[in-house]
Amino acid sequence: MKLKVNGVEREVEADWRDESLLTVLREHLDLPGTRFSCGIGQCGTCVVHINGAPISSCLVPIKDVAGKDILTIEGLVAQDGSLHPLQQAWIDESVPQCGYCQSGQIMQALALLKENTNPNDADIDNAMKGNLCRCGTYDRIRKSIKRAAIVMGQGR
Amino acid sequence: MPQFSRRKFLLSTGWVAGGVTALYALRNKAVAVAPTIIFPDAESGAAWIQIKANGTCHMFFPRVDMGQNANTGLAQIVAEELNVEVEDIDAARPSTSDVPPLAVTAGSMSLTAYSRPIAIAAATLRETMRERAASKLGLPLADILDDIGGFRAAEGPRLSYAELVDNTSSMVEFDGNRPAPLLYTFDAQRDKRQVGRAVKPLGIRDLVTGAPVYTADIPVAGILYGRAIQPPVRNARIASLETGDVANVAGFIQLVREDEFVGVVCKTPGAVDAAMTQIKVTWDLQQPIAQEEIDRLVDVDAAMAKGDLEHILQDEAHRKDIDWDIDLRFDVQVQSHAAQEPRAAIARFDQSSRLEIWTGTQDPFGMKRFAAMDTGLSEDAVVVYPQRLGGGFGGREHYEVERDAVRLARAVKQPVKVQWTRKDEFTASRSRPASAHRLRIAVDEVGNLSDWWYGYISGHVVFARERLPGWLLPVARLADDMGVVKGAISPYGAPHQRVEYNDVDLPIDLGVWRSLNGAPAIFAIESAMDELAVRQGIDAVDFKIAQMHSAHPRLQNCLERVRALSALKALPEGAGYGRGFASGIYDGRCYVAISADVYVDAQAKQIKILHMCCAQDVGMAVNPGQLRAQVESNLVWSIGMALLERFEVADNAIRSSNFDNYKIPRMDDMPSLDIEIIDQPTMPPTGAGEVALVAGPAAIANAIRRASGFRALRLPISFADITANSAE
Repeated sequence: MKLKVNGVEREVEADWRDESLLTVLREHLDLPGTRFSCGIGQCGTCVVHINGAPISSCLVPIKDVAGKDILTIEGLVAQDGSLHPLQQAWIDESVPQCGYCQSGQIMQALALLKENTNPNDADIDNAMKGNLCRCGTYDRIRKSIKRAAIVMGQGR
Repeated sequence: MPQFSRRKFLLSTGWVAGGVTALYALRNKAVAVAPTIIFPDAESGAAWIQIKANGTCHMFFPRVDMGQNANTGLAQIVAEELNVEVEDIDAARPSTSDVPPLAVTAGSMSLTAYSRPIAIAAATLRETMRERAASKLGLPLADILDDIGGFRAAEGPRLSYAELVDNTSSMVEFDGNRPAPLLYTFDAQRDKRQVGRAVKPLGIRDLVTGAPVYTADIPVAGILYGRAIQPPVRNARIASLETGDVANVAGFIQLVREDEFVGVVCKTPGAVDAAMTQIKVTWDLQQPIAQEEIDRLVDVDAAMAKGDLEHILQDEAHRKDIDWDIDLRFDVQVQSHAAQEPRAAIARFDQSSRLEIWTGTQDPFGMKRFAAMDTGLSEDAVVVYPQRLGGGFGGREHYEVERDAVRLARAVKQPVKVQWTRKDEFTASRSRPASAHRLRIAVDEVGNLSDWWYGYISGHVVFARERLPGWLLPVARLADDMGVVKGAISPYGAPHQRVEYNDVDLPIDLGVWRSLNGAPAIFAIESAMDELAVRQGIDAVDFKIAQMHSAHPRLQNCLERVRALSALKALPEGAGYGRGFASGIYDGRCYVAISADVYVDAQAKQIKILHMCCAQDVGMAVNPGQLRAQVESNLVWSIGMALLERFEVADNAIRSSNFDNYKIPRMDDMPSLDIEIIDQPTMPPTGAGEVALVAGPAAIANAIRRASGFRALRLPISFADITANSAE
């Protein structure tokens, strides 16, 4: 069984074919940047993109994504090590506290900016309310999304 | 406890190989409060700073990282003293084999306790280097001036640290017997370069790129996966155990049972989930787990009706039988830490029975000791590698997930990774206790406080059952539980005062939660004072300031600042809008005041927080950006405590199990924020990690009072409470 992760074709070995996508990414494919938190799709910590759509990877059986394109937080960094504008905005605003939810936050924000290049507060509330941050970095996440939207707009 | 030889220790670990190392060693003792909780002295082994032969500065972080980013602030202090850039400091997180015992990371103490020792060690190192420079150049010491990354002669060459250090090892130790060198960090005259700057958290790139920084991210060869059953309460005993068809689960390796411990080891995490569904345990409980039982145990009115409470904190000319202007009871709910990361641990025994543990814990040295006790190994045979915590909030101080991993790894003789489920987190995270607070206040003919009588009952915090060994509990509990007394002494003066409390066992496990009793007690006090102002028809901020009688100028200043800050944004006019204020002192050293603007929306039947302001006096602001981040975090937690978080028990079980039935604040709960960090450059840093939470819930409750006439006597507040009240 194969899937494409961050542009690279990966093989899922037999022992791992009854696992969730989240588990396979973390424990089998050495991509631990996507993290487990609630296990029921209530917190957004484990969000990845499947064929471009943001989904909680804890809920997705690996069998269901055979042959599909998966994008994880590790896939946002360019080959030369330069950061995606969202990641840079997250640093510029010093968003993370404990940091544990931030991979999912960034992946969810990426999905938002693909749909809406200039989101207002209500758009951000609506797109991000499924992503919990127990440290309470929401105010900075909001600012970072707006900052990244400007940078990405300039790049277009 | 034998005296610990730092010098010998450092040489044996190779830590001082090459370069000059500075130590701060005020005291060596490690104090064990109890065999199961070690709190090494906060000043032992506090500072470890080194200049390597290539001139780079190296330091061990003395605190664990859990989002508070205190180590960044401490690195700024080192950078200030050594005239280097904080980003150039090579910082490492020590394992328990690298350094002598360090204290548990707790109590918002990092900057308060460590800033001065760290500054002294770094300044001592700097002055030692200056002596070397003077001798090398043959100049008097006074002619050797500071330069970036080294020194320069008044007239002549520049000398970098690299030119002053070679591969021979040497150590300088500040022992407290001589005066400290000039500390740039605390020098009010100095134009500071590193301290006072909003430096980004060190390591922030790792946090936005998904680098492996948490326990469960660590790759360990040949790892297996396991999990143990978490009892609903730790003094429960297994009544019956059924293991179903666990042996036939694909990937199952072993079932492990030792007394009340039941766990499984499997080849994959999914197999662990499947195996755990096969295991059914019923429990014998010593107390029924029910809300009615919790309510009964914290019933402060029933206890006060019987006479004095057990612990008297304040007793001055107390009068019992007078006409009270305020006589209100406030009830505060149980709350869970609900850290974003379900705790995890990896345990590995090597061939010679040496045990390695990777874990995100607030107390790495405690884990080392507990693991040794649990396994019968000597402490020397156990090493703990502390990892970043995905949130701590007081909930990561105990040997628990570590125990699960250690016992399972020992049984299968292979390394095992355990990560709790979200349900495990709610079940076993040692919640913040429920508490009930009776406030009686009377004023004299001119409106000044004459009588203050505050009695309360809380579940235990520091002396909670299963935090100390059973034999020690009765002895420990004769003293004040330092968690339960937090926040109980008000900043307001009255000629007649009494403050008393009971602490009790509840049917669930309890422990340390952000601000301890600070947030519950100050919620009650600030609500009662606000109600008194409302009933007198006077301004609540003026009233509170007046009743401090100039005894707390820093708190008074916070209130005045937050009033000014809140005035920058007009409260919308019309029915349903209200603005409330509250203030408080956390742990006698941290000052904060908060305002909240709310809208009680009768149409949508909801309470919406529109805007919050906070003025916090932080002493010296080492890193204003991170201090602000901690305030933001505490404001969000205030919303959770005031409006959302409701921990539910029923039918002898804990019902709160995940984020679908235990609501915490989300993006769409966020108000706009306006925060002022009050910098006091000549005063020690106060700490910030759990400060603003003491005032936030009362500010929200007081705003709701203004918006709707409803005085919240019970948290969390729901819209239904308000309508029920107006229907009465």
